[in-house]
Amino acid sequence: MLAAVRFENATKRYGDSAEPAVDRLTLEVPAGEICVLVGPSGCGKTTAMRLVNRMVELSDGDVKIGGRSVREQAPAQLRRETGYVIQQIGLFPHRTIAENIGAVPQLLGWRKERIRARSAELLELIGLDPELGERYPSQLSGGQQQRVGVARALAADPPVMLMDEPFGAIDPINRERLQNEFLRLQAELRKTVLFVTHDIDEAIKMGDRIAVMRKGGRVAQYATPAELLMAPADEFVEDFVGADRALKRLALLRVADIDLWEAPLAHIGQATTEVRAKLAGAEVPYPLLVDAERRPLGWLSERDLAAEHVPARPDSPLGPVLDLDDVMRDALADLLQGEAQYAAVTDGQGRVAGVLSVEIISEFLGSPAARSEEHGAAERPLGSEGPRA
Amino acid sequence: MPSGSLIAAVGEVGKGFIHERSSETLPCQARSDELFCFDWAKDHIDRYATPTVQHLELVAISVLAGFAIAFALSLLAHRRPWLRPPLLAGTGVLYTIPSIAFFFLLLPITGRGRETAIIALSAYTLQIIYRNTTSGLANVPASVKDAARGMGLSERQVLWKVELPLATPEIVAGLRIATVSTVAIATLAVFAGGGGLGTQIYGGGNLNFATSIIIAGGIAILMALTFDAVLLLVQWLATPWRRAAHE
Repeated sequence: MLAAVRFENATKRYGDSAEPAVDRLTLEVPAGEICVLVGPSGCGKTTAMRLVNRMVELSDGDVKIGGRSVREQAPAQLRRETGYVIQQIGLFPHRTIAENIGAVPQLLGWRKERIRARSAELLELIGLDPELGERYPSQLSGGQQQRVGVARALAADPPVMLMDEPFGAIDPINRERLQNEFLRLQAELRKTVLFVTHDIDEAIKMGDRIAVMRKGGRVAQYATPAELLMAPADEFVEDFVGADRALKRLALLRVADIDLWEAPLAHIGQATTEVRAKLAGAEVPYPLLVDAERRPLGWLSERDLAAEHVPARPDSPLGPVLDLDDVMRDALADLLQGEAQYAAVTDGQGRVAGVLSVEIISEFLGSPAARSEEHGAAERPLGSEGPRA
Repeated sequence: MPSGSLIAAVGEVGKGFIHERSSETLPCQARSDELFCFDWAKDHIDRYATPTVQHLELVAISVLAGFAIAFALSLLAHRRPWLRPPLLAGTGVLYTIPSIAFFFLLLPITGRGRETAIIALSAYTLQIIYRNTTSGLANVPASVKDAARGMGLSERQVLWKVELPLATPEIVAGLRIATVSTVAIATLAVFAGGGGLGTQIYGGGNLNFATSIIIAGGIAILMALTFDAVLLLVQWLATPWRRAAHE
């Protein structure tokens, strides 16, 4: 089941206060996408999210799920049909993990066996040992608890998920793991997700679209991560996105998204004159030695080319080898760390697909072509990179 | 068994002091310097049965009534914060009235008898049970309540399925204090004509005779310990998640 979420001039005013917490918010979250609400504390992002399941009641305007106004639905019923994950997790300490996951199905009146089967299925989906189902929340680590929090929200298979800083209280290593796991789940489940965070890096990583909010509950910019990084709407967004937005954009791209240089390939035993001929006019000034399967072996130096035939052992080591599926930011890091000017890029089978250089990256970041570059990497979960050559 | 030999047996503990007097012919209950008279105790143990049952009833009925009222007040105040200060003050005032004075204050209204004793004893439990129940409910983590509402539990479901189970340890802790103190205060019920173990402590006006006071007091202590143990067991059974946390 798919459902878009539309905010139509949604407004929340508390009491008589002059400034609304959410001010005429209008935005549409397409079905099956993750929309991140991001902004400084007090910008109304959590309030805006809570308008969707009526944890906060609208003062004015409307919110529609799949075309149906939330005002027309009883709050309890609406909430049972909407996933809800919060930073403090809020598992029931007195219920077992399986009972926690089965909480909404129980409210919906599912039969016991069906609830048990669903709990087991979800434990497996989030990668927890089914035996943990009999434990109590206090017996689990923070990371495991938040996985359970996500599983609990998914239990009744709601079309819409609300996630309020879900990974905010988790240590950085586990946070990254949970983010990747959620993206992998999302690639499969295609929920319509409203995701609140104050962390712009998390927003860029998780969001198909990002709404940057400013104090007073207004949207400063609503765009894809790439657009946001390329063309911040104003100074506020620019500041919020940060000075290192060029680097952040690299986190959104994969090596395959960029035009690579063609490598002049050389084979063992080939006449060096042939290789020299290839070098003329090539972007890369060194030939790349490959085996019969086009797998890279190393770079040939001037001294190697002085011989009549290409030697089996090249003079220069291979250096870093990148995969087409690698995230650009990591690829750049590998290049810099390997103190290499060029790196061979291989495809899934380990065959050479091209060459990446620091020069290509800097040209790419400066080029107008980059501006039209679509939001490539985040559409694929970052945790699922293929094996590296 | 002749009395002399029993006293001699006790004399093993009391050493020379009692042994010195073993030749005297007076029964021990007639001597005010004797701490405990086994002879007398042995012959009169039956007379404690009825007061003990009365005492049990006084405590059980008073605590149950007090719990019912205090629990209802706590639920009433739970979603109405403005009710909390007056209720706390009200139950607090009841708690501060000296117990004997309370019995005498009630006499003109309710007359002598068990009901008067129960009214006063129940009133004393209100403060402790009310305070523990409200604080138990207040200590339920806000995140758990938020998650519960966010998942679609109604207010009533949040209360009965989440808040009250989580407040159980504090509620039972209040019940334990209330019960133990009621066992003690119920020994004064005799002044309201309520019977109980107090009849054997103050009965006959002979406060110099220690043996009966020790027996009645001992029964009261045993009763308090038993109630406490039973309530602790109930809590243990009702809160498996707390045991899991310590494994």
